[in-house]
Amino acid sequence: MKNIITAQNIIKKFGVGDEEQVVLRDISLTIQAGEFVAIMGPSGSGKSTLMHALSGMDKVTEGQVTFDGKVLALLKENELADLRRNKMGFIFQQPTLLKNINVLDNIILPAMRDKRKHRSTIIKKAQELMERTGISGLEKRDITQMSGGQLQRAGICRALLSNPKVIFGDEPTGALNSKSAKEIMNIITQINQNGTTVMLVTHDAQVAAKTERILFMRDGQIATEMTLPRYNGQDLHERIDKVTAIMKELGI
Amino acid sequence: MFSRIILNDMLKSKLTTLITTIFIAIAAMLVALSAILMVNLSGAIDTLMREAKTPHFMQMHAGEIDQTRLEAFASSHDYVEDFQINEFLNIEGAKITINGTSLAHSVQDNGVSKQGQTFDYLLDINGKRIDVHDGEIYLPVSYMKEEVAIGDQVIIQNKAFTVQGFLRDSQMNSLLASSKRFLVSDQDYNALQSVGNVEYLIEFRLQQLEQLSTLENDYITAGLEANGPTITYPLFKTLNAISDGLMIALILLVSVLIVVISLLCIRFTLLAKMEEDYREIGVLKAIGLRVADIKKIYIAKYSVITLVGASIGVVLAYMCKDLLLENIKLYMGESENTALAIGLGMVGVGVLCIIIMGYIYLVLGRFKKIAVTEAIQFGTAQEKSISTKHFTLAANKWLPTNVFLGLKDVMTRKRLYFTMLIVLVITTFIMIVPQNLYHTISSKDFTTYMGIGNSDMRIDIQQTAEIKTKANQMVKALANDDDVQAYNVLATKTYYVQQDQQKKRIKVELGDHTLFPVTYAQGNAPKETNEIALSVMNADELNKKVGDKITLIVDDEAKPFVVSGIYSDITNGGKTAKATFTTSSEDMMWYVINVTFKANPALNAKVKEYADQFSYAKVSHIDEYIQQSYGPTIASIEKAAFIAIVVALLIAMLIVFLFIKMLTAKDRYTIAVMKSFGFTNADITKQYMSRALFVAIISVIIGTIAANTLGESIVGAVIGTFGATAFTFTIQPLSAYVLSPLMLICAVLVATIIGASYAGRIKISQYMKE
Ligand SMILES: Nc1ncnc2c1ncn2[C@@H]1O[C@H](COP(=O)(O)OP(=O)(O)OP(=O)(O)O)[C@@H](O)[C@H]1O
Ligand SMILES: [Mg+2]
Repeated sequence: MKNIITAQNIIKKFGVGDEEQVVLRDISLTIQAGEFVAIMGPSGSGKSTLMHALSGMDKVTEGQVTFDGKVLALLKENELADLRRNKMGFIFQQPTLLKNINVLDNIILPAMRDKRKHRSTIIKKAQELMERTGISGLEKRDITQMSGGQLQRAGICRALLSNPKVIFGDEPTGALNSKSAKEIMNIITQINQNGTTVMLVTHDAQVAAKTERILFMRDGQIATEMTLPRYNGQDLHERIDKVTAIMKELGI
Repeated sequence: MFSRIILNDMLKSKLTTLITTIFIAIAAMLVALSAILMVNLSGAIDTLMREAKTPHFMQMHAGEIDQTRLEAFASSHDYVEDFQINEFLNIEGAKITINGTSLAHSVQDNGVSKQGQTFDYLLDINGKRIDVHDGEIYLPVSYMKEEVAIGDQVIIQNKAFTVQGFLRDSQMNSLLASSKRFLVSDQDYNALQSVGNVEYLIEFRLQQLEQLSTLENDYITAGLEANGPTITYPLFKTLNAISDGLMIALILLVSVLIVVISLLCIRFTLLAKMEEDYREIGVLKAIGLRVADIKKIYIAKYSVITLVGASIGVVLAYMCKDLLLENIKLYMGESENTALAIGLGMVGVGVLCIIIMGYIYLVLGRFKKIAVTEAIQFGTAQEKSISTKHFTLAANKWLPTNVFLGLKDVMTRKRLYFTMLIVLVITTFIMIVPQNLYHTISSKDFTTYMGIGNSDMRIDIQQTAEIKTKANQMVKALANDDDVQAYNVLATKTYYVQQDQQKKRIKVELGDHTLFPVTYAQGNAPKETNEIALSVMNADELNKKVGDKITLIVDDEAKPFVVSGIYSDITNGGKTAKATFTTSSEDMMWYVINVTFKANPALNAKVKEYADQFSYAKVSHIDEYIQQSYGPTIASIEKAAFIAIVVALLIAMLIVFLFIKMLTAKDRYTIAVMKSFGFTNADITKQYMSRALFVAIISVIIGTIAANTLGESIVGAVIGTFGATAFTFTIQPLSAYVLSPLMLICAVLVATIIGASYAGRIKISQYMKE
């Protein structure tokens, strides 16, 4: 299997002088193409920071991150943007859709930035994705007239439209009720099964239990990690128990 | 908690606070300045006219004079307090040399005069009546600006004088008054008598100014000497006030615009702030704080800003005032009511502060409308916009995505961009109106609004013996000149109008008026011998419209005329008429001959040829004539137009910069989101540029239309007060429609790029957590 993300001894510090705070302390890890990874850990342990570092949204203080063969630190701002647009997809805790354009426009926006010529292909693909995520028919809806779950689905469609290699999700189900959360997780699991690498930050053992690899963070370090077989709809409770056991052990 | 909020707010918006303060300071400064100037100007004029004992009624007269009859008239009317006949010796410019330079090219009627005996004094720079000795000469104060110094030499037809000082002439200080009096001793005056033509100044002082119209009527009824203009005390006052008055009016106008801009500045700062704090305000309301409490925070903040701004403005005004008062002090002298000036300035600034605070109260009224639930749920105000529903990215074929996003944003948040629109409309207006005015008044056509026909060369023959013979000589010369394409001869003579048992005098220009026509507000030039055209002022005074009948006494016979047209005129006090009939009378007041040449020969040479040949006539190149009569006015308007463009561009840049900066701060979350899915800083900048460009283009269109309609009427109204109506702008399309909009748009784009640079510093990771 191919390595899609590699982190070598990354350190991330915020602030200077007296206010300096080391948030990531010498983390090294490798993510392989097609993996389904969850990051867990107490609040403030550096989960979001790690994900920002791996996706190039933020620069690391020391160490090196390689994404799909490219060293992120060497890329220019525009090249990073290209990378984000073409090879990464992001799903955030709060649905991050633009308010003054409708649902469909939001979904096709990144793709339309430079592939306007293929407008109809893009729209067709967007509609397929909407169908797959269960929001077909809402194309013309105003963003302010949608439920949290619907918005999150639209966000997923946007992230998927460019066939990214990696999907990053920072607590994508954190703001949803359990029913919606379950549905969103099913969609994400599906995405992974279609071959896309997925990396999620989560507090929820139920969510983590559906992934294959869980990194447990504490104080800016990966305290431990566990692997699980690919989830096929069975043994969910056992998987959850395993996750919670480690969580307890680490005092999360 | 309030102090925390207000402190945070001040710190977060340092720049906005600073700029708002500056705008208020400038507005306060201009308001205070115009009040100070206004009081000083009127005070100085009053002092000057009181000290100089300006005549209440003055009749100029060229020709024979019956002194005893005039004296008898004066003593037989009780209301006449004082009476005198002064003289003005009009001398050709060529015969006067100051420091070796002759005044041959001066279009003013220069001449010498004696000091008034009991009134109409010429005053020195200290406001004292001048006591002039033999061999000394005092020059009009305007020469002080032209590097003429005390001790310099003036030669009038071989007779040398030493400049002993400068004089203030309460009658003829103004550039708009064409005669300029130089003061010499009585003895020197008598010695010069043969050099020029005497014009009598028949002057009256009244017990009370209210008796002026009685005197005017009695004077006409008595049929006394009247071959020349009549000028009254109020007109002297207007002439003295006009140029500085215009400056004050301009300052006031600019200050009004600046006040509007600072109000807009406050408005969008507040609105943006409110939207930014929407959730917070909603929460404050939810936890039971009253709207009044929240208002207090902002009121406190803006009270501080307004007070600081106004104080700075007053200090600035105090520092600048001497610079602007210089001209008034030079021409008119000191004013006596300095305290009043400063007091009125303070009152003006006080009113300004009240307006600003009132406006803030008004804008803050919106706090009431913040719905608690909406605020907490969405964190921003919901702006509904159904109209743009169909403008979607999915349906957009042509626009680049960034441009689309920019336009879409403007359309959905109209209210926000409205402020920017208004500011840019105003700046377009400020840019275009003064330059249109400048192009209009500097264009050759404009002379036709002033009552001057559009020709190449103008010849004035006035106040000379055997005037008709001389005019005929001139005509003969023109008729024999092969280079001459066309010319007309206009002879001016005073006639009586018979109206309601009353006689009124009007000056009628006789000749062919179709050749070098002036601009007619209504109707046409007179063609038939029974037609007459009236200047706007005369038409108003005689209450006549086109087609009305009017009776003139021509060669002692009452003759009916029909009013054929009404035209603009600012020459000769604006009270003139034009007709084509011929008269047997020999005594014309003056002749004006307009000439055009074939295919423009060396015009200057032609002018010189005629000037040399006919020394009694004043021959001028029409451009030169305009230059000398209105040159200083045109030059100062050109300067004003230039300054207006620079100021407008600066204001536009400043406001747009502020606006975009605030917008990026407000939209930082959206920007971070867009960056997270791959939009670059350049993309974001392009989006902001499209927004600004879109607003700027609409503003330029509205502003240009407003400038050419509203601006034209405002300027027309001002010009109208001088007697010129039917005013339309002469527009230089390249400058008004291409260069100015282009400059404004460039300024806006530059400001946008700088303002949007903040977007580049927005880190995705930072805002994704919000
Ligand atoms: N931009 C920043 N500047 C300074 N400190 C920061 C910044 N971003 C994060 N931190 C600090 O880094 C630490 C880790 O933050 P991070 O957001 O990665 O935590 P997290 O594990 O995602 O927590 P949570 O589960 O609450 O989201 C925290 O102590 C936080 O205060
Ligand atoms: Mg986090």
